[in-house]
Amino acid sequence: MLLELNHIYKWVKSGGRRVFLLNDLSLKIDEGEFLSLMGPSGSGKSTLLNVISMLDAFEEGEYYFDSEAVHDLSSKRKTGIFNENIGFIFQAYHLLDDLTVYENIETPLLYKKIKSSERKALVADMLDRFNIVGKKDLFPHQLSGGQQQLVGIARALIIKPKLILADEPTGNLNSAQSDDIMGLFKKLNQEGVTIIQATHSESNAGYGTRIVNLLDGSINKN
Amino acid sequence: MIRNYFKIAFRNILKNKGIYSINIIGLSFGLATCLLILLFILDESSYDKFNQKADDIVRVVFKANVGGEQISEAVVMPPVAQTLESEFPEVIDAVRLRKMNDPKFTYNNKHFRDFEFAYIDSGFLEVFDFDIIKGDSANPLENPNSIIISQDQANLYFGTEDPIGKNLSFEEGDKQFTVTAVFQEISKKSHFEFDVFASMNGYEYANSTSWVNSDFHTYLLLKDGSKYKELEAKLPTIINKYMGPQIREALGVSYSKFKDENEVGLFLQPLTAIHLNPGFVSSGDLKPGMDVKYLYIFGAVALFMLLIACINFMNLATAAASKRAKEVGIRKALGSKQNQLIKQFLIESFIATIIAVVLAGLLVFLFLPTFNQLAGKAFEIKDLLQFSIVILTLILIFIVTVLAGGYPAFYLSSIQPILVLKSKFTTSGKSNLRNGLVIFQFVISAGLILAIIIVYQQLAFIQNKDLGYNKDHILVIRDAQLIGEQRQSFINQVLEDPKVKSITNSSFLPAGETDVSMSGVLLGDEYQRRMFIYNVDEYYIPTLKLKLLEGRNFSKEFGAEQDKVIINETASKSLGFYEDPIGKTFTQDTNEGGQLLTVIGVVKDFHFKSLHRKIEPLILKHNPYGGVIIRTNTADVSSLLTSIESKWQKINIKQPFSYTFLNESFDNTYLKEKKMRDILSVFTGLTILVACMGLFGLVTFAAERRVREIGIRKVLGSSVPEIIGLLSKDFIKLILVSFVIAFPLGYFLMEQWLQDFAYRIEINWWVFLFAAFITTLIAFGTIVLKSFKAAIANPVKSLRTE
Repeated sequence: MLLELNHIYKWVKSGGRRVFLLNDLSLKIDEGEFLSLMGPSGSGKSTLLNVISMLDAFEEGEYYFDSEAVHDLSSKRKTGIFNENIGFIFQAYHLLDDLTVYENIETPLLYKKIKSSERKALVADMLDRFNIVGKKDLFPHQLSGGQQQLVGIARALIIKPKLILADEPTGNLNSAQSDDIMGLFKKLNQEGVTIIQATHSESNAGYGTRIVNLLDGSINKN
Repeated sequence: MIRNYFKIAFRNILKNKGIYSINIIGLSFGLATCLLILLFILDESSYDKFNQKADDIVRVVFKANVGGEQISEAVVMPPVAQTLESEFPEVIDAVRLRKMNDPKFTYNNKHFRDFEFAYIDSGFLEVFDFDIIKGDSANPLENPNSIIISQDQANLYFGTEDPIGKNLSFEEGDKQFTVTAVFQEISKKSHFEFDVFASMNGYEYANSTSWVNSDFHTYLLLKDGSKYKELEAKLPTIINKYMGPQIREALGVSYSKFKDENEVGLFLQPLTAIHLNPGFVSSGDLKPGMDVKYLYIFGAVALFMLLIACINFMNLATAAASKRAKEVGIRKALGSKQNQLIKQFLIESFIATIIAVVLAGLLVFLFLPTFNQLAGKAFEIKDLLQFSIVILTLILIFIVTVLAGGYPAFYLSSIQPILVLKSKFTTSGKSNLRNGLVIFQFVISAGLILAIIIVYQQLAFIQNKDLGYNKDHILVIRDAQLIGEQRQSFINQVLEDPKVKSITNSSFLPAGETDVSMSGVLLGDEYQRRMFIYNVDEYYIPTLKLKLLEGRNFSKEFGAEQDKVIINETASKSLGFYEDPIGKTFTQDTNEGGQLLTVIGVVKDFHFKSLHRKIEPLILKHNPYGGVIIRTNTADVSSLLTSIESKWQKINIKQPFSYTFLNESFDNTYLKEKKMRDILSVFTGLTILVACMGLFGLVTFAAERRVREIGIRKVLGSSVPEIIGLLSKDFIKLILVSFVIAFPLGYFLMEQWLQDFAYRIEINWWVFLFAAFITTLIAFGTIVLKSFKAAIANPVKSLRTE
């Protein structure tokens, strides 16, 4: 098992009342799964992804990642686990505007203090794999949305994460680009990467191995 | 990694060209100002330090309060040096210098003047550093008639001939001197600059045992490590022992009684402190000094400017925070640690600082000649390479980097990435820190504007003050005492010119080069105080346009008037002649025992010293000699000067014709204040410019942040002035708050400055209003410049982005 959530509650106070974002949510995810989170806007998909990524905290419940009790960990250790194991892909790509494609993909390696020669090899490998060698010196604004998201995925994968979290990765793309990205996800999953994606699209969800429906912060049906 | 930091930093700077040009230009102004002012301060505070023994040399000065008169003199009595050397073992050597005014040499029928001349004890050359480049370097001033001259003077007198052994005739043949050595010119950074030194051995006055007359600059060389304050504490015993008996003799009162009512003392002043403590302007300073207060003011202005530039940096960083926050969030989501982000931001501000330093260097290079002119210096670019400046620049780079880059580095890097990813991170327009810093900037700007207005006012006040005499159209012929017997015929000839209104025969002037004479005054048997004496003729009062309040002027009708005097109001009061002073008598203490004088008139007080000093008692005696002072009818005197010169040459005296104008001499009295005003004006202007650049940047951000709001308001029917009002309201509020802080502070500090003037303006309420108006106008102009563009923008464009 890669991660386990037990009775997670997350709320915000509004006018003295608790508004639940996650309400008694329990979920187990095994290594090698490709899970799709579905549900209407506001159902808690993004919140759940953020909690899983450890970037966001929760009020009650237990969270085990790779058998470590995340709810007991210091924020520093949480950041450590996140940096080692998790790649995040955003709906809005969130590429660094001032960096080229090559440099965007290289950035996570810099933060892991990987040697220059090794970095070069890893980035070259990644560019090759995603067929974007010719675009390595372009800046994000010179790319189409699909291409930008490709770079975003390449950047998430460069640290060889155990888990990929993708929040509406195709939300800003047309259906052809969307299918390409989903095909890529499926391929990655077959290579052994665990993926959790949040999506509105039934067809995208179809690429996955399991679908979890959320409603008002709780799991609706398995 | 570090290369990556630099690369990213460069790209960020390029991308945010607008902000960074404000930051970098502001910083480079601040740094350039700091460098120039630093050069100035270092230069001014390094006077006399070139002397190897500088730290062990002190000057003996005299301070007293006699009969209510404050006396402070850089010269002391002739026997002080000898006495201190024999009484105190810690005094290794005591040497004296006696300056002679307006000396003249004749060599080979050629006449030389306008050089600085002094008698010195032969040990003087040992105590101070001298570089003897020709002649006897061991003891060149041993013989009574020996002199040493500077290289320049040697070239001037003797050309290519060997100067050693040559004879110079002094003061029209009064004395003959033999040149025994030539010295390298004394450094400009010395508190004295002389061209010629003669041996004190041939100067009779030097052997005087009088403890009453002060005329000798006296320097002590102290034993290494001995404290001058300890020696100073022992000096009162010397006064008791040596001066006491002579006081009784001179003043007729016992020393103990004298001491009950008066204070007299010798004090010590370290050599290196002389230049920065010019308290002896009227009596003994060998060169105008630089009040250390002015150095503090300049230093503060430079620091303020740098601080304002740093604040721009910080403020614009906080304003740009929402833009940068996204980047921080992504980077953190990609695994960046906080300290890596801190490094990145600091490197960015470091690069900006380095660019600013390079630009500052360029600015200094370009404006050094202008600054030299302003400050009266001769700095060169290579002066910037002194050790202390280089070190200070490095420290400044470090401080500015941390100060300017500190906010983004430490605050932005702590942002939780989740806030950014959820798009929840928005910097609200209001930040207390930023508001505080803007207030601080405008406290400084408004304070400086206030200060400048007051400085201008005070100097204009001095310029236009009723001096009690009329300084305009007064032509002073120098050296007229040399005409001798032909003086009267010369004066009569000059009087024929219709441009001449009147001529008086006197060497006493209220400004510029003048004779000074003081003498003790007794009323009955009782010693009153020393008073200034003017030796004048009957034309003095009409020529200078003094106002006779009571009695009469001197007149030929009354025959000899040597024992008649006209006194000023202050003298009248200090002698106790409150009612009807005419006909009252008092005694002038002279070497021959005293002269009884009768008051025949009282003149209105006039400022015969600079306006820094209160008007003191003055006695006008009828004793015409020396100078020729001419009142002309017109300011156009070029033809008059030619005609006077031809008459001067006809009487065939050897001195060339030379003259001064009284109003120019008067203006020169306040050169220091004018210099300070000019420097302060320039740097205040720059400081305000930098502050406004920051304001401009902030308004830009405010307009960008509120672009939607502006769009909506315009769609709802808001007018352009209303939008401008909306954008400027917040800033104008801050500026108003800054006045509340700046004005009391400015008032307090400018009061201190004004204390230096015995005659000064009072700070008026409208000065504050004016300063507030100017500051608001400048700031509002800056804001409008930017907000107008935002206000006229088409709202459709800004709303379409949604």
